[in-house]
Amino acid sequence: MRYSIASLIVPGLGQFLQGRRARGLGLFGLIAVMLGLIAWAVAPPSTFSESTINFKGDPSNWMWLVVPAIVWVWAVWDAAAPPPAWSAWIVTLASLILFYSLGWEASGLDPAALTKNFERAQLVLRPMLRPDFIQPRAEHHEGWIELIVPCGETPAEGAHTINDTTLTLSAGCTAVGDTLTVNGSGFWPDTDAQLVWQSPIGDFFPLRDEANQFRSILVDSQGNTSASFVVPNAIPPGIDPTLPQEQRLYVQQSRPLGGYELSTNGAFVVQGIYQTVALALMATTLGTLFAIPVSFLAARNLMSANPITLAVYVTVRTLLNIVRSIESLIIAVVFVVFVGLGPFAGMLALAVHTVAALAKLYSEVIEGIDPGPIEAMQATGANWLQVVRYGVVPQIVPPFTAFTIYRWDINVRSSTIVGLVGGGGIGFFLVQWINLSDFRAVSASFIAILVVVMAMDFVSARVRERLH
Amino acid sequence: MLEIQHLHKVYPNGTVALTDVNFTVNDGEFLVVIGLSGSGKSTLLRCINRLIEPTQGKIIWDGVDITAASGADMRRIRRQIGMVFQQFNLVKRSSVITNVLAGRLGYANPWASLLGMWPKEERDRALRALNRVGIADKASARADALSGGQQQRVGIARALMQEPKLILADEPVASLDPVLSHSILQYLEQLNRDEKITAVCSLHFLDLVHRYATRVIALKDGKVVFEGLPQEIDRARFKEIYGEEAVEVRAGMAA
Repeated sequence: MRYSIASLIVPGLGQFLQGRRARGLGLFGLIAVMLGLIAWAVAPPSTFSESTINFKGDPSNWMWLVVPAIVWVWAVWDAAAPPPAWSAWIVTLASLILFYSLGWEASGLDPAALTKNFERAQLVLRPMLRPDFIQPRAEHHEGWIELIVPCGETPAEGAHTINDTTLTLSAGCTAVGDTLTVNGSGFWPDTDAQLVWQSPIGDFFPLRDEANQFRSILVDSQGNTSASFVVPNAIPPGIDPTLPQEQRLYVQQSRPLGGYELSTNGAFVVQGIYQTVALALMATTLGTLFAIPVSFLAARNLMSANPITLAVYVTVRTLLNIVRSIESLIIAVVFVVFVGLGPFAGMLALAVHTVAALAKLYSEVIEGIDPGPIEAMQATGANWLQVVRYGVVPQIVPPFTAFTIYRWDINVRSSTIVGLVGGGGIGFFLVQWINLSDFRAVSASFIAILVVVMAMDFVSARVRERLH
Repeated sequence: MLEIQHLHKVYPNGTVALTDVNFTVNDGEFLVVIGLSGSGKSTLLRCINRLIEPTQGKIIWDGVDITAASGADMRRIRRQIGMVFQQFNLVKRSSVITNVLAGRLGYANPWASLLGMWPKEERDRALRALNRVGIADKASARADALSGGQQQRVGIARALMQEPKLILADEPVASLDPVLSHSILQYLEQLNRDEKITAVCSLHFLDLVHRYATRVIALKDGKVVFEGLPQEIDRARFKEIYGEEAVEVRAGMAA
């Protein structure tokens, strides 16, 4: 009875006084957490609800107070006499319903969004079905001519010959929105040509017709062509539009050669993947070189001989644990600032993480070494180096190698992530293509990563199997 | 002749393993050391080739004081003392032939051996040693692919590579199926009889002691409590060495 009253005043106090301390603290903690969550769900602090996060609380959440009430009643009952098992199930079920309902609300689950915006997903997924890796082989033929927009003191020449093509313009200078005529000769006969504009800062963009399609013009059987076009506004924002600027009109032809070649982005994917594998290899090698000596300092059986070495062991172990718990992504951010963007920063970040991870694994191998062969080698009259070579090395080299290859495998995967923050490799290209919404290139790099990771996984599994 | 004089061993943690141990082993003897686990048998054997450093006392072998030898001298002495271990102490990942060749490290050119290069004559010697213990066909197998009995035979072949004058065998059959005990001990007996290699061997089973020993010493709590012929160990002596509660068991299948 006394205990029940205690639990009625403070939930769990009765159990605590009865000596069932874990249960008492558990009940108290459970009810405290529930009350805190409900208070937050109903009326979050004003600083929080005024921030950009759209979370204002909902007064209807007060109804959840039923659940802590149930738990409280159960705590009083439990303090008086052991309640039947089914009552504990009711308490558990009610608590789970509370936590999942509030959790659902907190994580902003909105299944309707999955169907509502499906066409937006298609914008991303459609181009991904056509990875930009290879393209049909083609040869190109072009001519260009300069003109000044708007007119200044000296207009351009109005005619330009390059290689075998000649272009003439009806005016050497003009204003945005004017219509000009271009005449050309020396083009591939009977092959359509495209009109492409080059802005004063060197950007290319195709001219479009009224229907917003690329301007395509006809070339006759003599290789001559003539077309009129509207001068586009190609002055970049921030530049005085009244200042005369040199711009160019390109007339470009292309015809298929048959077969396929790497596209520009495809070549970047290959370069990125190559860089990724190489930087992972470098990071693994560098990490291994440092991890080997460190692992001996982190091996308890070697370091527990006297208090000084034991202190070294504890220090090294602690440092390794700290470094290992820092994601290589975070280390990469530091190195990008330190040594600049590029694979070197990514390599250093992965190497640091590798040292910590491998040194721990290596030291466990050293700790697990069988002293028997060492004793046997000493008994044959072998010298110290021979004992190490025949008694220690055969025991540690295969597991060391297996762990190193496994780490390379992991590093290839993480170097993709490290690239996202500027650490070089395929991830570096990937994040730029995501920002440019070039999902065909994104898809090509996904496939390349997939192929390389699967290949590494397969090879490393096979090699480790052999070493076991 | 091997003379053990006033040998004491106290471990750094204070455990007294051997107290004033004195005995002599004549050339060609098969001396068996018996005693309970923890009575100091392993410590005694390891003191003889100084895998364990004695605290006090002398070990004199053919007039040379082993306890006073240092560095290169000690290695030269060790290479003439073969050792066989309870747990075989093979490098499990290495091949059988590499394990056997390692027995030759005390004689080999140090640099060539570090590179793992062995002259043909040494390889032939290793194959002969394996042949002698009947497992020449396993030369290129990995040591851990062998059964326990076969692994101990590799251990004997490794000791043979040292062309030893003395073999120390620390419970060579204690990790084996009792029925295999005789096959292993017969190899040691052969070496002892045919090559006149002195053997100092610790054993557990009394029937094995009766069968193989030419002389026996018994240790109890680090002290020698019996020294004599195997047939002198009767029921009363047995109780004295192993304590009142001990019951004799047999390794079975006497050869």
